[in-house]
Amino acid sequence: MRRLLSCCVMLCLGLLARAEDRVSWEITPRVTAPGQPFRLQIMVESDVVLGGAQFISREIKPPRGMALRLSGQLIRPGSNEATFNFSGVAPEQNGEHVIPSFTLRFTRKAVVVPEIRLRVSDQVAYRRETQARAELVLPDRVFYVGELIRGAIRMRGGEDEAVVASYGLESLAEGFSMTVTAERQAMPDALGQGLQTTFDLTPLREGEGEFSLNGIMLVQSGESGVFSQNGRDRPFAFRRRLTVAHVPERGRPPEWNGAIGRFVAEGLQVSKDNPEVGEPIRLRAILTGEGNLDRILPPELRGDETWDVLPANERRRRAEDQRMFVYTLVPRLPGRLRTPAVRLAAFDPATKTFSKLEFAPLEITVTGNAPAQVDLVTADPAAPAATTLKPVTGLAAPQPGRSPGLFAGSPQGTLGDAAGFWSANAVALGLVVVATAVTGVLGYLAAHPEIRRRRRARAVMRAALAEAAACQDRRDAHGFAVAVVRGLQAGVAARLAAEEQAMTQSDVERVLPGADRARLDRLFLRAHADRFAPAGPRGADDGAAEDLALLRQLLSLS
Amino acid sequence: MRCFALLCFGWLAALGAAEAPASAETAYARGDYARAVELWSEEILADGATAGRLAALGNAEWRLGRKGRAVLCWERALLIDPRDPVALAGLRHGLDVGGVDRPKPTAAEEYAAFLTADLWLLLAVGSFWTAVLCVAVPRLRGRAAGEVNQWTRVGALTVLALSVPGLWGGRSLDARAVVRRPETSLRLTPTRDGEPLRGVAEGDVVRTERMLNGHVRVRTADGKTGWVRAGEIEGVRGPGLPADLDQKAAP
Repeated sequence: MRRLLSCCVMLCLGLLARAEDRVSWEITPRVTAPGQPFRLQIMVESDVVLGGAQFISREIKPPRGMALRLSGQLIRPGSNEATFNFSGVAPEQNGEHVIPSFTLRFTRKAVVVPEIRLRVSDQVAYRRETQARAELVLPDRVFYVGELIRGAIRMRGGEDEAVVASYGLESLAEGFSMTVTAERQAMPDALGQGLQTTFDLTPLREGEGEFSLNGIMLVQSGESGVFSQNGRDRPFAFRRRLTVAHVPERGRPPEWNGAIGRFVAEGLQVSKDNPEVGEPIRLRAILTGEGNLDRILPPELRGDETWDVLPANERRRRAEDQRMFVYTLVPRLPGRLRTPAVRLAAFDPATKTFSKLEFAPLEITVTGNAPAQVDLVTADPAAPAATTLKPVTGLAAPQPGRSPGLFAGSPQGTLGDAAGFWSANAVALGLVVVATAVTGVLGYLAAHPEIRRRRRARAVMRAALAEAAACQDRRDAHGFAVAVVRGLQAGVAARLAAEEQAMTQSDVERVLPGADRARLDRLFLRAHADRFAPAGPRGADDGAAEDLALLRQLLSLS
Repeated sequence: MRCFALLCFGWLAALGAAEAPASAETAYARGDYARAVELWSEEILADGATAGRLAALGNAEWRLGRKGRAVLCWERALLIDPRDPVALAGLRHGLDVGGVDRPKPTAAEEYAAFLTADLWLLLAVGSFWTAVLCVAVPRLRGRAAGEVNQWTRVGALTVLALSVPGLWGGRSLDARAVVRRPETSLRLTPTRDGEPLRGVAEGDVVRTERMLNGHVRVRTADGKTGWVRAGEIEGVRGPGLPADLDQKAAP
């Protein structure tokens, strides 16, 4: 009895005790080489039904240099088990890398996953070239505020894998402005199979900033095609600390206006080679090269005794990597003048030196006369005073009530400025032209009745062809002959300008000289025999194709 | 059409208008030119601009020493009636003894001054339509053109050809302006600091060419070209009364 009681107590304790959640994980392979892809599987078993999982990717924080993405989850409805699969790429550094403990949130409860450890060792045999991999292309140097940095993510295919797509690019750039310039472009042939995404970075402030990029590429292994099922996604993640400095003040030329990069002064263009004095012309300075073309302030041009300079709008042609500075120049003196010098300085971030650029001035021939400061008057002081008297003039007496007549003008504008004047005239002229054209066409048709006659004959012949084909299908030889003869008569009558009913086999022969007379006789006899005597026994409809061909030949002539 | 009806109404109204009130003329006669300007301006605003009123207003403005306004009034009076004797006398007086310059009219402008711009346009449009209908109507009726039709066609085309220089001269007359500021410089370049080439006097009539940077390129009576600020001149075509340059712009 006592033993039975202790067994019951133990059973009750077992039932009442709270069951623990069991969480296990597995990394394949257990030890990876630097940069080697791996798979992580996390299995959860609980005492309650778990329900759906939420925000998995947000909770897990992989260590620096490791790429990790959720690639699938398996949670059956009403089950207390769940499985999560992650795909990842090992960091480049040897050693043990720890994914911190995180929480898996299900509908019913939250389960804590303990920290996960991944061992990376370069003793593991792994050939990097066999598998697809992503590389970040970014210069490794100090950057400068306002500089344009061109970067790229190269997703290169391996010997056993090909990169077929990429998606989900995310970036975090503290103190930088980033613009993706081209996505998922095929890589140059020299770099092998793969895709490339290029971007532009511009540092905005001095100091150190964190730049991270991550995304997923879809890789396909083996010899299978693009649409096979063995494609899988592989994440990539890059993190860099970038150092940004201001362009050095030491050695900075006064004409430096924000240009960072390597530039070439292509040349100057003017809108007119031989302007007059005082006539504005447009001067364009074209700058090309690699660098922050967008951020360069236009070089200032000052007017002098030969040129006056006005501000002008400039245009930027982005596709050709060039910048155009535009000025309006007004010549002040005639002769052969040289355009003002356009100078600017650029800072080369690679060599950390300044260089000066100058656009070669153009020589312009300015026509016209030099402005006369003083109008010289030659007068003979000994000459007698003017003998001609000034005409006697004066103001006339005002006549405010005077009427100018019927056709008085208006000081404000002419009749031609009135709204609708020209449009009403244009509409009326258009109507007259249309009416005249319509009348002309109708007159032409009236003068050439054969046009309408042939058009009608063509319609009759087409209808006869259709009817003959229908009779042929019904095996109605008489109907077939009537239809063909009607078509032939209509076509021949149009050609000979005669009545259709009066056309005979001879007329058909006149229009179609190669026609078989015996066949025509048989055809006409079969069609018109009923007029003169009761129809005899119908013969076989032999040669129907030739009859139709005859009609088609006539149709093509019309 | 509405504009045409308004013009017709204006002509008929001008024909049937009664004698103008004598108060302005009285003020002018007794030497109170400021009052005369005031009264004629009110009359123009109330009843519309006629050649006689504008010419009379020009006379009063001239007496007050406002050459720019006076010349502008006379020029506008001539746009309404190219043979208005008061305006013609006023301009002649300004040119001879008043120190005002006015470009010598070209042959086309002298030809255009024979009629008003509206009348030239009506002549051109009327003759054009007569010629078009002379060609189109026989075709629409399907008959050969008769002798009368041929003569009408020739006449209409002749009138059209004669009105073309009138239209051209009218456009040329419109592209003129009067200098309104007393101290105006003709500048070499269209900038605020443009080099002054020479001065143009208030009341001088200039030919206008193009605009740039708030300046207008003008050609003076003696053929000199240069730039003046747009606010220093006023176009000959415009509302009846000259603009009040001293009035501040609305905020």
